[in-house]
Amino acid sequence: MALKSFTALGLILTLLVSCEKKNEINDPDSLVPKTVVEDPGLPSIEANGAKLHAQAFGPQDSTLVICIHGGPGDNYQYLLNTISLANEGYRMVYYDQVGAGLSERKPKSYYTSFGANGINNIFYDELKAVIGHYKTHPDQKVILLTQSWGSILATGYAGKYPAEIDGLILAEPGGFKWDDVITYVKASRSFNLWSELLNDATFFDQFITGKETEHAILDYKALLLSSRNDIVGDFGSIIGTNKQYYPNVRDGAVISAAAYEIADKYKPDFSEGIENFNKKILFLYSEKNKAYPDSWAQKIASPLPNKQIVKINGVGHSGMFDQLNTWNNITQPLLINYLNSIR
Amino acid sequence: MKPLIITIIALGLLQTVKGQTINWKTIDSSKHIVTAGFEWDYSLSFSAGYGYKLNTKLPIVLSLNFTKASGENLLDDFKTKIGGQIVLLNQPTLKGVITLNGIYRRFENDLVRLQNIGSELKGTFGYYKPKWLVACEVGFDKAILTHFKHSDTYKKDIYQNVKDGWYEPATGGNFSYGLQTGYSFKKSDITLNFGKVITQDFKTTPLIPFYLRLGYNYKFR
Repeated sequence: MALKSFTALGLILTLLVSCEKKNEINDPDSLVPKTVVEDPGLPSIEANGAKLHAQAFGPQDSTLVICIHGGPGDNYQYLLNTISLANEGYRMVYYDQVGAGLSERKPKSYYTSFGANGINNIFYDELKAVIGHYKTHPDQKVILLTQSWGSILATGYAGKYPAEIDGLILAEPGGFKWDDVITYVKASRSFNLWSELLNDATFFDQFITGKETEHAILDYKALLLSSRNDIVGDFGSIIGTNKQYYPNVRDGAVISAAAYEIADKYKPDFSEGIENFNKKILFLYSEKNKAYPDSWAQKIASPLPNKQIVKINGVGHSGMFDQLNTWNNITQPLLINYLNSIR
Repeated sequence: MKPLIITIIALGLLQTVKGQTINWKTIDSSKHIVTAGFEWDYSLSFSAGYGYKLNTKLPIVLSLNFTKASGENLLDDFKTKIGGQIVLLNQPTLKGVITLNGIYRRFENDLVRLQNIGSELKGTFGYYKPKWLVACEVGFDKAILTHFKHSDTYKKDIYQNVKDGWYEPATGGNFSYGLQTGYSFKKSDITLNFGKVITQDFKTTPLIPFYLRLGYNYKFR
């Protein structure tokens, strides 16, 4: 009798569900927006063998400010408040790194095949190509405006090509030496075992799984995973008046995993050569990031030769850029002063 | 920088487990089994269940199980299972058991609410004595149909054209394999299950690729 009841209940449920139109989990735009490969209407450039989601604002021949997002695997949308610097006469350039944001996806094996040269071939060569794409004359100055992983990447690049960069704005790089990066990642993700935050990060693994080639599914999962982190003080962004440029956000799960795997294997020191970079560096960190106390900011900034360290109050890891009030009233004036000082 | 390394280190072991572990050697005189568990089942969770033993030649137990994930929100994340276990190999001490469950589960965070209908198939083979048991277990948990309902935050700040509704084909699937052991006394069993979880492509794993369950059964007529 009980068996018959169970079977009947199962059949009823199946019938109810099968009557409704269903979506395809593998569709490229069901859960996450299309990339530049799937949607040619998006602004893009070709750089370093990939189609990158990218755009620029402001006078073409003026000082280039290349904005470099975090992750690896994040996207530039949260940096878009800085577009207002275009009104100050700067050429603001935004690009999603390969495999991230709305840029082209590559298989994991593509990244890992570079071995020890992975960071160089994937990220430094890409940045070099982006700068080359937007640079209109040899004397055009290049400033890197960066956050988190973007700041780690930029420091490595400036150490490798010190003569090519005229200014460096770093915001909360987790660390430059790999051990420091690991320490920061652990501190920023040490969720309470009983917390909703940990539960939100792990429980959905039984609902959605994706193969290494199923980027839309993996990116969606990455987005759910990174949507909120109370430890670093990011509670969601208010993009404000700049939001109309990009309402579509996507993370890159495969590039994130691949970059992490490469770095964990070869343990790069991203501060290598930075002692040769003699221009002024602006180093920002936030008050609300519990994993980034004053002592950590001092430690991480220590290899930087000519720096100004500023703590941004009232916000967390990304808030100095993605919180419009903080951007308008604190970060932007600070950056304008800095940019004026290196003109 | 996304991986939750610290979490993995902190948890050490752990993850999904599949309902009730029964000492089949001690169940002959019982009809009802009440169970409780504390576990890592894709998150730190508590479970409670009930089993009813049918009067059949091959031992069969029908079961109902509820698992609630920890966290500040009371009922946003949970899992219910309804199904049964049948002992197909029923030697005096060696036993082979098949478990089949239908699953309804729910997940919610700031961005989305997921409701899933799934199934779980598990095989267990082991050595059962009146006072103890040890067995190996292999299971497959399939998330067959999932309903997505995204929050206004997702639609406003992340992706305005996201499609809500039922999704197919199956949105997920995880294999698990491990060991179960238990100690029986009077009308009670204390059981322990632990093992690993791997996704259905055999290449990737859940964020925490382990499971652990400490369980208690009380059996009565």
